[in-house]
Amino acid sequence: MWNQVKQSLQSSMGRAMESLARLLPGILAFIVALLLFLFIGWILAWVVRRILAAVGFDQRMSRSAPTMADWSPRLTPSQLVGRVVFWCFFTAGVMVGVSAFEAGSTEHVVSGWILAYVPHIIGAAVLLLAGNVLARYVSRSVLIAGVNLNLSYARLLSIGVRWMILVLTGAMVLDHLDLGSNIVELGFGILFGGIVLSLALAVGLGSRDLVSRSLEREASRVVEEQQPERIHHF
Amino acid sequence: MAGIEFSEETRQQAERIGSPDIVVGVAGPVTPDELRSRAQSVLGLLGPTFSSLRFVFAWPSPAAEAPAASLAADQPAALTFFPFSFPAHAAGELWAGVSAQQRAVLGLASQLNARCCIVLGPDLAALQPHPLQLFAYAVLERQCGLVMPLYNTGKYDGLINNGILAPLGRALYGRRIRFPLAFDFAASGAMCARMARIESHQNNHGGTSLLWPATVAATQSSQTAVGQAHLDVRHQVASGGLDLSAVLAQIVGSLFQEMESCAAHWQRVRGSQPVPVWGAAPAEPPDGETVDTRPMLDSFLLGSRNLDEVWRLVLPPNTLLELRRLTKLAPEEFRMPDELWAGIVYDFALAYRLRTLSRAHVLGALTPLYLGWVASYIREVSTLSHADAELRLEQLARAWEEKKPYLLSRWRWPDRFNP
Repeated sequence: MWNQVKQSLQSSMGRAMESLARLLPGILAFIVALLLFLFIGWILAWVVRRILAAVGFDQRMSRSAPTMADWSPRLTPSQLVGRVVFWCFFTAGVMVGVSAFEAGSTEHVVSGWILAYVPHIIGAAVLLLAGNVLARYVSRSVLIAGVNLNLSYARLLSIGVRWMILVLTGAMVLDHLDLGSNIVELGFGILFGGIVLSLALAVGLGSRDLVSRSLEREASRVVEEQQPERIHHF
Repeated sequence: MAGIEFSEETRQQAERIGSPDIVVGVAGPVTPDELRSRAQSVLGLLGPTFSSLRFVFAWPSPAAEAPAASLAADQPAALTFFPFSFPAHAAGELWAGVSAQQRAVLGLASQLNARCCIVLGPDLAALQPHPLQLFAYAVLERQCGLVMPLYNTGKYDGLINNGILAPLGRALYGRRIRFPLAFDFAASGAMCARMARIESHQNNHGGTSLLWPATVAATQSSQTAVGQAHLDVRHQVASGGLDLSAVLAQIVGSLFQEMESCAAHWQRVRGSQPVPVWGAAPAEPPDGETVDTRPMLDSFLLGSRNLDEVWRLVLPPNTLLELRRLTKLAPEEFRMPDELWAGIVYDFALAYRLRTLSRAHVLGALTPLYLGWVASYIREVSTLSHADAELRLEQLARAWEEKKPYLLSRWRWPDRFNP
C-alpha cells in the first residue's frame, strides 16, 4: 500500500512539475517583455522630459493651466507627462507580457480574461490616484480656511472631509473593479448614511447647547466688529 | 505704446484733446459732478505757477455711461474733464480693481503724451492743492520719474505695508519706499508708458497681478529718479466686509510673483538707499486707543496647533522651533524677533516659487503668522510715540536687509535645503 501511495505522490509531483515546466516559458516571456517595456518607457520618459524642458513647457503650462500645478505641486508638468509616458509603457508591457504568456501556454481563457480586466485595473488606479490627490487638496484647503476663520475644530473638519472623500473613492474603485458590487454598495450606503445621520443627530440633539453657544458667540462677535476698527491692515 | 486697449471713441477724444501738461486720473468710480466741482476749486488755489499748465481730469467710466470729453463750462481750455470707457471691476477684489484702473489712467496719460500723470484714489482724499503741487513740482521741476506718497498714518495703520510690503520691497530693490502700494502717486510721461505696457495677468491662484510702481521704476529703468512726497491724507478703506486672508493672499501673492519675474534684478542689489522727500512732514496723528492683541494671538496659536503639518513643508526646523517657543510665552511676553519674521516671509516666498505646495495654500498658511507678527508689533509700539514707532519700523527694515543673503542662497540653491 505504501508503494502505491509513494507512486501516487511521485506521479502527482511529476504532473505538477510538468505543468510548471509548461508555464515557465510563458512566465519568463512575460518577465522579459515587461522588463523590456519598462526600460523603453524609462528611456522615452527621460527623452520626453528633456524635450519639454527645452521648449519651456513648464512655463507655458503655468501661465495657461495654473490649476494643474496646484493639484500636484511637487511635480512639474513635464515630470507629470514623463510619468504618464512611463506608466503607459508599463501597461503596454503588461499586456504584451500577458500575450507572450498566452503564446507559451495552452490555456487561452486566462489571458483573454486578464486582457479584458486590464482596463478596469487602469481605471481603478486612475480613480484611486485622483481620489487621493483630491482628498489631500480639499482637506488641506478646509484646514487652512478653518484656521483662518478661527474655527477651533478646523482639524477635525479637515480629517472628516479627507476620510469622506477617501471612503467615496474606495467605494468607486471597488465598484469599478467589480469586486463584491452589492456588498460594497450596501456597505457604502450604510456607512455614508450613518455618518450623515450621526452628524444630524449630534447637531440636532446632542450638541444643541454647543451649537446655540457657538451661534451666540458668532452673533456677539458680529456686534463687536461693528465698532470702529482700531487697527487697519491696509 | 500703451498696453491698455481703449475704445475707438476714447482714442478719438484723446486725439482731439491733444497733449496736456498734467493728467490727473482717478483710479476708480467717482461722481462726475463732485469731481468737477472739487477740481475747479482746487485748481483755483494752486497758484500762479500752475496757471499756464494744461490739466486733464480723467476717470474710468463703464462704456454705456461715458459721455464725451467736455471743456469746463467756466474755465479756459486749460481744464478738460475726460471720462473714458473702461469696464467696471468685480466687487470684492479691492486692490485688483484699483491696480487695473491705475494702469488704465497711466495708459491714457501715455496716449495723451502728458508730461506728468497724477493718479488719485477714488475717494478723492488727495485731491487737494498741496498734494497736487508737490507731485507736479517733483515730476516737472525736479525731473523725478516716479513720486510715491508718504502718508500720515498712525501706528496701527497699514500693517500689511509695515510688516511685509515696505521692508521686503526695500530689501529687494534697494530703495527706501515707505508705501510701495499706494492709492496716490505721480509719474513722468516716460514712466507712464512703461507702467501701462505691463500687462495685467492672472496669477496662479486666481487673483489678478497688481501694479507695483516702485518695482517698475527699479527694474525697468534703474536710472529713473524715485522720490516721495509728504501727503497729509488718510484713506479710509472699508475693510469690514473684506476677508483678511483673501486680501493678504492677493497682495502678498502678487508681490511674490513680482519677485519671481524680477529675480535677475534684485539678486544684484545690496543694501538700500534713501530717496528724496518733498514737502514738510505733517503733524503726528493722535495715538490710538490701546489695542487688545488677544484675538490676533489666539489666531496665531490656533494656526500653530493646526497648521504645523503645512508649516513643516515651508519652514526650516530652527524656525519651527522658534515658533514653538513663542507659543509657550505668556501674552505679555510675546515678541516675534525681526530676523524670525523676515526669515518666515522669505521662506514663504521660496515655497511660492518652488510650489512646495499649492500656492493658494502657501498664502493661506501665512495669515496666522502675520497675525502673530501684528500682535508682537502692536505690543511693542503701544507705549512708543509715533516717531519712535517709525524708528522701530526702520529697525525692522534693516533686519530684512541683513537677512537677504539667506534668501539669496536659498533662491539660487533650493535643493540644498528641503524640509
